[in-house]
Amino acid sequence: MSNSTILRSIDLQKVYHTGTLETPALNGVDFELHKREFTAVAGPSGSGKSTLLHLLGGLDRPTGGEIYLQDTPLSGLTKDELAHLRLTQIGFVFQAYNLIPVLTVLENTAFVLELQGIIRSERIARARKILAELGIAEYADQFPNRISGGQQQRVAVARAVVSNPSIVLADEPTANLDTATSLDLIDLMRRLNEERGATFFFATHDNRLLDRVSRLVTLVDGRIANDQVRDAA
Amino acid sequence: MKAALRHLKRHKGRSLLTLLAVLIPVYTLVFMFGFASANLQDMFETATNLESGHFQVRGISEHETASTLPLIDDTTAVLDVLNNTDGVAWRTVRLDVPALASVGDRSESILVQGVEPATVARITPIETLLVEGTYLASGENGAVLGQGLAELLDVGVGGDVVLLGVHPDAAMGVIKVPVIGIFQAPDESMERSLIQVDLSSARALVRRPTAATAVVCMVEDVAGPWDVDKIDTVSSSVSERLPEGFEMVDWRELAPMVMTYMNIMRPVLFVFAASFFVLGALVVANTLYLSVMERTRELGLILALGASRARVMRMILIEAGLITAAGATYGALLGVVFMWIVEAFGGVPLPSQFADVFRSMGLSGEIHLSARAGDIVLSAAIMAAVALLAALIPAWRAARFEPVEAMRYVE
Repeated sequence: MSNSTILRSIDLQKVYHTGTLETPALNGVDFELHKREFTAVAGPSGSGKSTLLHLLGGLDRPTGGEIYLQDTPLSGLTKDELAHLRLTQIGFVFQAYNLIPVLTVLENTAFVLELQGIIRSERIARARKILAELGIAEYADQFPNRISGGQQQRVAVARAVVSNPSIVLADEPTANLDTATSLDLIDLMRRLNEERGATFFFATHDNRLLDRVSRLVTLVDGRIANDQVRDAA
Repeated sequence: MKAALRHLKRHKGRSLLTLLAVLIPVYTLVFMFGFASANLQDMFETATNLESGHFQVRGISEHETASTLPLIDDTTAVLDVLNNTDGVAWRTVRLDVPALASVGDRSESILVQGVEPATVARITPIETLLVEGTYLASGENGAVLGQGLAELLDVGVGGDVVLLGVHPDAAMGVIKVPVIGIFQAPDESMERSLIQVDLSSARALVRRPTAATAVVCMVEDVAGPWDVDKIDTVSSSVSERLPEGFEMVDWRELAPMVMTYMNIMRPVLFVFAASFFVLGALVVANTLYLSVMERTRELGLILALGASRARVMRMILIEAGLITAAGATYGALLGVVFMWIVEAFGGVPLPSQFADVFRSMGLSGEIHLSARAGDIVLSAAIMAAVALLAALIPAWRAARFEPVEAMRYVE
């Protein structure tokens, strides 16, 4: 593993069991993610994009293979240790239902910091700062149901980066957004990648976004079909 | 905490149901304890105030089968012990003499109760039950009798009654006393068989100038049967120092009905309380479980972001704690307000047939409510604690959600 490698998977496999039916989702994925990369994983529906993200993020356990975050093998961790690792090392942006409905935008943004035990004054200051940086400070006191889907995803991105995690994993963050809002969100993530040095790895099946990424991994039938480093626009 | 309050506010219907699941049992228990305590206190006060006191010092009987109390020749030694015992609030000397009361050609077997008029009011309600004439005065030769007995003897205020004392420990004595007062008692037998006279008159009936049958004592700061420890402490101290030939008899022996009532009420109240606690807890567990299931995706998200299972459990328990604390507090307050209203109106009158039964047991003919603060707080605290325990089930369930599955959950 090189010094710049944050995340590495070796022969990663995942099989879902439904009764006696076995559905393979990943069939031996070997993959490395490096610091400051802005990587997309693309592929058709059912190719294993979300599964890969869930496994890399410690949200689910693989059927076979191993994942290393920094130098830590995830297979040896208990549920609580995985939770702590997610809390301290990984930022998440999900496709939908990203925000806690009873918390304001500011509180949602600061939520991870609260879980980390950071004192209120500091977490509020940090949350306000990132909201301002992402141009959504004016919604700080709004509840999620009072802002648009695009704004909600911006808040989710703000929450994902507010604690300066090693890596931000985003599972189809633009799936429910229109084209303009999707491009805005990806540009925002790219800006955070460049300005804050945050490492992003996100799944998408939207080809319109792919010219924004620095590396594109294509999954087909649970295998990496193509892994291409490219110049982002 | 703020988020928990918002959750509760967001699901008003469910929160209200949970609140009621705690509030109603607490309210009902406060009412039940109020009713039982008031009855018990009523019964205890009736028993101890009307006749027995908290304890009595008596002579030890030489006649095993005697139905009358043995005579004490001199109470000086006993009074010395009582005067030198801390906690004795008050005492009075009494002389009960079985006697025959005659007016003209009518005679009735009765009990003459010789009392110290200046102090006896504490243990006899007769002065307050007078319907005609006046009560006794110290050293005055007079008699107060029940209306039923007055009718049997065909005598009224101003008439004379001849009393023939027949105490087995003494020679027979005869006195003639004028009737100075007539009382009406709730207890019919009391009204037909009791004559109160001054202690000196009763002593003439046994022809012994310092005789007595009991020294009746009350203990300081006793509000009800729950203060028995205070009575026991004082009575034990007295008992240890009594001269030979005397015994101490406490209210349990003097008023066994109160003990019987307490022994019946305790398990009944316990069963009712336990049933209410269990029912309340089941409703709380059920509503919180539904709430958790409804919020599966949100809880999945929180777990995905890195919240520990303990943290998720704590979140659910904080919500449960807030709602159960509110339910228990409001239930207790409503119960107290209800009791206050009932007592402000002097209690709820019972239908006459029930009132008569209650009166015959020495109780009042109304429903009174007077739960003790300790019982109210305990009911509320236990209900809140049991509900919180019940909330552990949905909290435990929430903490064991798998983040990915929970976030995919479709209601």
